[in-house]
Amino acid sequence: MDDLTREFLIESQEGLDRMERRLTELEMRPQDAGLLGDIFRSVHTIKGATGFLGFKRLEKLAHAGENLLGMLRDGKLQATPKVITGLLQLLDGLRSILKSIEGEGVEGEGEDQALIEQLEGLQAAEAAAGVVSSHGAMAAKAVASAAPPPAAPRPTTPPVVDLPSAGAPTAPPAAAAEVARVRSAVVGSAAESSLRVDVTLLNRMMNLVGELVLTRNQILQATANDPRMTMLSRRLDMVTADLRENVMKARMQPVSNIFSKMPRIVRDLTQVLGRRVRLQVEGQDTELDKSLLEAIKDPLTHAVRNALDHGIEPPEAREAAGKDPEGTLKLRASHEGSHVVIEVSDDGAGIAVDKVRGKAIERGLITAERAAQLSERELLQMIFLPGFSTAAAVTNVSGRGVGMDVVRTNVEKIGGKVEIDSRRGEGTTLRLRIPLTLAIVPALIVRTLGQSFALPQGSLSELVHISPAQAIEWIEGAPLYRLRGQLLPLVFLDRLLTPGGQHMDSTERGNFIAVLDADGRRFGLVVDGLEDPEEIVVKPLSAVLKGIGLYSGATVLGNAELALILDPGAIALKSGITLSACDEGDRAAEESGSVDLNTGAEYLLVEAAGRRAAVPLANVLRIEQLPLARIEYIGCRPVVNFEGQLLPVEDAGGAIEAAVGNSSARVIVVVCREAGRHVGIAVSQVLDVAAGGELLEAGTSQLAGGVTLLKKRVTGVVDLSGVPPLPADWNRMEEALA
Amino acid sequence: MSTRSVQHTKKSAGSALVEICSVQIDKNWFGVPIGHILEIVGAVRPRPVPLAPGFVGGLVHYRGDVLTTVNLRQLLDLPPRPGVHDVLVLESGNGSFGLLVDAVGEVLKLSIADFEENPCTLNARRRALFAGSYKLKGRLLAMLDTERLDPLRLAAAQTV
Repeated sequence: MDDLTREFLIESQEGLDRMERRLTELEMRPQDAGLLGDIFRSVHTIKGATGFLGFKRLEKLAHAGENLLGMLRDGKLQATPKVITGLLQLLDGLRSILKSIEGEGVEGEGEDQALIEQLEGLQAAEAAAGVVSSHGAMAAKAVASAAPPPAAPRPTTPPVVDLPSAGAPTAPPAAAAEVARVRSAVVGSAAESSLRVDVTLLNRMMNLVGELVLTRNQILQATANDPRMTMLSRRLDMVTADLRENVMKARMQPVSNIFSKMPRIVRDLTQVLGRRVRLQVEGQDTELDKSLLEAIKDPLTHAVRNALDHGIEPPEAREAAGKDPEGTLKLRASHEGSHVVIEVSDDGAGIAVDKVRGKAIERGLITAERAAQLSERELLQMIFLPGFSTAAAVTNVSGRGVGMDVVRTNVEKIGGKVEIDSRRGEGTTLRLRIPLTLAIVPALIVRTLGQSFALPQGSLSELVHISPAQAIEWIEGAPLYRLRGQLLPLVFLDRLLTPGGQHMDSTERGNFIAVLDADGRRFGLVVDGLEDPEEIVVKPLSAVLKGIGLYSGATVLGNAELALILDPGAIALKSGITLSACDEGDRAAEESGSVDLNTGAEYLLVEAAGRRAAVPLANVLRIEQLPLARIEYIGCRPVVNFEGQLLPVEDAGGAIEAAVGNSSARVIVVVCREAGRHVGIAVSQVLDVAAGGELLEAGTSQLAGGVTLLKKRVTGVVDLSGVPPLPADWNRMEEALA
Repeated sequence: MSTRSVQHTKKSAGSALVEICSVQIDKNWFGVPIGHILEIVGAVRPRPVPLAPGFVGGLVHYRGDVLTTVNLRQLLDLPPRPGVHDVLVLESGNGSFGLLVDAVGEVLKLSIADFEENPCTLNARRRALFAGSYKLKGRLLAMLDTERLDPLRLAAAQTV
């Protein structure tokens, strides 16, 4: 294919995408001349180019459309839903020809005569005061489904699709941000300030930046003790972070790229299903890495189909239930930390939990006794299991039993998470939580067999240290650990990696359990040691090593050591950890349990210089283990520099003091969030997590503040707000101290 | 065998010279056509990969990529040698891979007239690794068949 044709294809596809958006908007505002002009131009541009490229079939079809659009633009015709349906069919026709040109280089064999006749019919019929033309079978079919009574030239039904963000007929704000939109006639002014870049070039840049991040990590580690290098390495750190952010930004595309496909899907589906639905879109400007955007396109479409088919009821049913006959489907995208959250919510019937229960028992996914014990929330999670569908009838829209588990699998494949919330009679909300980027992932570095392995943080739910005294329990050779009363299946990483090798008896050494949750499989991975968490750059493995099936890639750590990235899902499969809804249920029960019983919040039990204290778990952000050298002092206040951010460290327990003088000592800092700032608590050991019990003062029966009952021992709660803030002006403080 | 011998020679001239890089494994020297070598990386410590096939010598970091290396010692039934290795980065149809050797020697300019195919008495295992040999003054230099050393082909050969 020559460059000219390729360029023509890209431009035409962009034009058609825009036309699709405009057409659904046109249905709202049939009189809008700007919209009509824009749609006309898209088709006209295609027709213009086909002439000298010699695509006869395309030219003929585009010509028929152009005629119809010309009449609309000149006000000789009304843009009725019927006309719009016809134009959407024209759009599909043009698209399929373009697709065939792209794939095979030729227009392909196809008959457009029926469509052309239909378009001509629309011109004639509409001009003659809206009498339905009998031209072509397709026209008749379109009319039958598109539907206002033939006598009415204007639609009496309220518009099906509503795009609140669509304002004036200028380009949506998203289009300006979209590099690929350069040449469109509408965004003329943006053309000078943006250019089209090949995605492979951006991928290459992302790889190089990843390389730079690695080199930076190594330089930071190597120069940590050299004061002369401090300024230089800090500068390198900043520039690298900046560069990485900008290259990532260049790969970002607004979610409007996929949201804009939804009005059409909603329009078509509502007609097929006989629903009346208003689509609301929010946060279209939210940006996401291009590869991730591609990856969530299918799950999102699936979720929208599900919401229309199973969620929103037919108008009569809604009216009977006292609801607005027109349902609302809401698409919302927003940033939440390092994730983008995409919500698909409907105000439909909600999920019938008893139906879910019945289905789950019928399909053998769960026993009847077990089902009776599960709460509604736990039962809801069952819809993510493979082979689950509550649709009474299999329609061609959804209900083939390949629904939500596919959504979940696809989203989890890119490191995301899916949550569902449903209220009977009020609606369902599906939440997709997507990481911002794929190339660089936060990971925990663990050690086993004297080697480092990277464990993606996404599937890590907690870390447990087991001392030699706390025995792992065994049932017929299967190791288990009692985690807060629940049995957790364990996988020993060393045994897994060296089958048949000699292994230390686990009871003789201290171990760490990384509690993992991979695609609904929950288990504990036993490793020998933990290192710092690191942001790692994922490098692909060669086919031979991929074939082992336990590693998802490799990475270079800050100390220049290579580490294999473990794939928790594959480990679970290989070790025979079963997918079970019970685990989900247990967690939900745990979560809800802590609320229902109201036994007070959970606490992190720590020990500093021999004394125990409790830190409210809700405030704990993370636990860092640092070499003593990382603790610096401003005056006599210990602080830690985390990538340019200063963290005040409270050492009331004397954990740092106790370690001073021992240059190889490491200090554990519990990083907490407190009223908009972060503070660190220096401790010598983190013991456990436990729910606190209330203590009442004898005599007064008043709640005792500042203490809680942890593991049957009265424990003081660390007062985070009591940690004094860092002074605003360092110099003044230094002076004051001097 | 005759088809394979041609690929290591320059086809342009009948009596042209070819450049061969000599590498040492244990006490023996082998030849690798220089055109197949992308780069030679010295003194690396490959990172072992648990559960990998035996011929995999581990991973090395090479220009932003993670290379799978082939352990020639294992293929030649020689005892493993701990410590640092030199790595020849070789290109294959499926991307590049590394070849672990004990040391890299000099680059020899040899006449293709001195090339001879594998002797029929060579054991089958080595016949699969060698492309033939060059007759040097006083010794023979066995040529490694770089295409057959591709990890994917080695893996395929193992499963058969």
